[in-house]
Amino acid sequence: MKRIDHAIVEFKEMDEMAKRDSLVHSVNPVVKLIITIAYIFVTVSFGKYDLSGLIIMCLYPIALFEISDTSIGACFYKLRIVIPLVCAVGIFNPFLDKETLLYVGNVAVSGGVVSMFTLMLKGVFCIMASFVLVATTSFDEICAALRRLHIPGFFVTLLLLTYRYISVMMEEVSVMTDAYMLRAPGQKGVHFSAWGSFLGQLLLRSMDRAEELYSSMRLRGFNGEFIYASLDPLKGRDYAFLFASLGIIALFRFTELTAIIGQLVM
Amino acid sequence: MIEFNNVYFSYDKEHTVLDGISFKIEKGESVGLIGANGAGKSSMLKVLLGLLPHDGEISVNGIKVCKQNLAEVRRVLGFVLQNSDNQMFMPTVLDDMMFGLCNYGMSKKDAEARVDEVLEQLDLVSLKNKYNHKISGGEKRMAAIATVLAMQPEVIIMDEPSVSLDPYNRRAVINVINRLEQTKIIASHDLDMIMETCTKVMLLSGGRIVAVGTTDEILRNKKLLEENRMELPFGIAAADR
Amino acid sequence: MHMADALLAPAVAATMYVASGATAAVSVHKLRKEDDEAKKLPVMAVTAALVFAGQMINYTIPGTGSSGHICGGMLLSALLGPQAGFLSMTVILTIQCLFFGDGGLLALGANIWNMAFYGCFVGYFLIWKPIMHSKLFGKLSTKAAQRSRIILASILGCVLTLQLGAFSVVCETNLSGITDLPFGAFVAIMQPIHLLIGLVEGLITAAVLTFVFESRPELIKELDGGSELVNRHSTKTVVAILAVAVIIIGGGLSLFASENPDGLEWSLFGNGDAGYSDNMGLDEDDYGISSTAAEKAGKLQDSTSILPDYAFADSDSAAGTSVSGLVGSAVVAAVAIGVCVLCGALKKKKKC
Repeated sequence: MKRIDHAIVEFKEMDEMAKRDSLVHSVNPVVKLIITIAYIFVTVSFGKYDLSGLIIMCLYPIALFEISDTSIGACFYKLRIVIPLVCAVGIFNPFLDKETLLYVGNVAVSGGVVSMFTLMLKGVFCIMASFVLVATTSFDEICAALRRLHIPGFFVTLLLLTYRYISVMMEEVSVMTDAYMLRAPGQKGVHFSAWGSFLGQLLLRSMDRAEELYSSMRLRGFNGEFIYASLDPLKGRDYAFLFASLGIIALFRFTELTAIIGQLVM
Repeated sequence: MIEFNNVYFSYDKEHTVLDGISFKIEKGESVGLIGANGAGKSSMLKVLLGLLPHDGEISVNGIKVCKQNLAEVRRVLGFVLQNSDNQMFMPTVLDDMMFGLCNYGMSKKDAEARVDEVLEQLDLVSLKNKYNHKISGGEKRMAAIATVLAMQPEVIIMDEPSVSLDPYNRRAVINVINRLEQTKIIASHDLDMIMETCTKVMLLSGGRIVAVGTTDEILRNKKLLEENRMELPFGIAAADR
Repeated sequence: MHMADALLAPAVAATMYVASGATAAVSVHKLRKEDDEAKKLPVMAVTAALVFAGQMINYTIPGTGSSGHICGGMLLSALLGPQAGFLSMTVILTIQCLFFGDGGLLALGANIWNMAFYGCFVGYFLIWKPIMHSKLFGKLSTKAAQRSRIILASILGCVLTLQLGAFSVVCETNLSGITDLPFGAFVAIMQPIHLLIGLVEGLITAAVLTFVFESRPELIKELDGGSELVNRHSTKTVVAILAVAVIIIGGGLSLFASENPDGLEWSLFGNGDAGYSDNMGLDEDDYGISSTAAEKAGKLQDSTSILPDYAFADSDSAAGTSVSGLVGSAVVAAVAIGVCVLCGALKKKKKC
């Protein structure tokens, strides 16, 4: 399948996931957005050698995954984009930072190795947290939450409209790529001679489309301000969810829970 | 109800798109607008809706179509675009149907009640919370019609409502059109659909109205149609054979 | 070039958020003041959506077996203007981050800065506008001169803005104290790669813009009528700007050629290359995390002599990391896996 078709499927799957129903889905999107950002913030704030402190942070997203019945496998698919970059940066650490930090049995582990793993885990955890947010919150809910957090209406409207047209445009690109490939067997991509016209054609067509779209908006009384689907105000359980989550995250960050567990076991 | 008086429009000096158009449409009429590609159908509709400028006079319900009156005029006219994707720009069908209503100052609760009512009428309740990019072409067209109906316009204007629909959905659209009591203007190349839905037909060519008459008069006139790059509707041609 | 959350320290991420947020706020404010604000909205949205989809088109690079794609910052600002271009690019990056895990929520501010700010504002005001208004290629016919300026501005703009973006990535990562890679070595990896990526992006952008220019010239910003208009930028300014661009780009080139400050093997760069190219576009299709990168990493381990002495070191134990921490980590990992397995089993049972 072509890359763009993968993207179309992925896009639709994300929508599908957000439309399901669960405890996590029903939490107010403003709360979820705040918690996700807080979680990521705290996760990246762990020191570069603090592998044992960091590892407990995995419990929170995993819990959300399980409660919302979201597949962790689907999330790991997303990692393919971020992990190479993180690895590319982290992979040098073991070579450069060779001071031994700890021993596992007889084997000495250098600081570089620990910091590399810390970095990779951070990457994984952050993606997990963002993923669970999008998998349990529809895009229009996220936009409404952004509006609630006083992001300018112009920007949020732009976000919403762009989101709507991405699938339309991806279909068009896909169809055009098909049309191209059918008459250009064996080519891996668009040939140099068609570089300009391929996207250019689509661009001109989309300018006309924008014109049409604007007509359609004006005909229905649009005068520059969108009226949003309103969010429910925060309810008691939203607050409960918010404070419980923040509490758990703080607990993970500020106590050495991992070490305590280790001592208990021993 | 709708009156064109010597209306002209051109994109540039050389090409006149509308070349002196005059006609009247009475309340409750359903008028088919036919003509070859580039005859000026779409431009005529856009001029009427105030999306394109014009010379001459157009009035809707006695209100002159000009910049100051646009909001009022557009309240009366409901336009279903040819490409439903361009019409449905909100994430879900519900959002889209609410869009116009809220812009005209309706409260969200009332607007949603209106949406429910229209969806019920058109038997589309299942579409209410669906995403616009995930419904089929046929559903999208019906939903686009619903967004316009929710505004309760007095005139419904449709640009190629049956294009790229399968027979089942085309039939569904025709049934909806026939059920509507409003004044209707339908621009289309689907002459069989015009035959079924319109009482009056206007034939455009080169920016002028070359013929106006009852549907039967015009759509059975083989010579007239062929002169203007069209042919007899399939239904009539088959009956004649 | 998408930064990942993990590569940023909170303070750096927050700073970048503030910088990008302020730019966005100013842009929104500026657009709001324009008359056709309402009309801009659909145009921006549809163009942004197209660029989003257009990023997935593969372009074969002549003479090589590989293919590239575009990022679109310069393209957007040349068509929409700097503010609208910036906001459209911001929207693209936001949606990418949410739906495709490209970058991350925390790194979004940095990504907007690295890609949208440089591409739209710096590229526009420093390259696009001056060149489009300049007398360059004045000897050619008006149309040919305009076309040549478009091509020059696109290529220069893309190369320069990508260099700046890549440099920012290095600065942000190093400031975050994430990597032990020395600043110089990191720069030496990033800049040359992005020189190539920028060149490809520039060529594609130039091709698309000249196509648009031929059919709908009114869509291109700052298109000068030629001699009849007053040139607001003298040749001197343009030459000065070109000089700056050349220095920055030349810096990237010289790094490419120079000896690596830390004596890292060049083979190491191949590794970085694999990771970055996935984000920035070269060879996207051929690339698999497990295959290329892992393979290269594997070879690297075999060939590098530094490696053996870190595995079984006999130096003194670095105090600090406790055994209990280690055991605790193992327990947490076990619990996490256990939860997943258990829940998975329960779900299966339910379905039966």
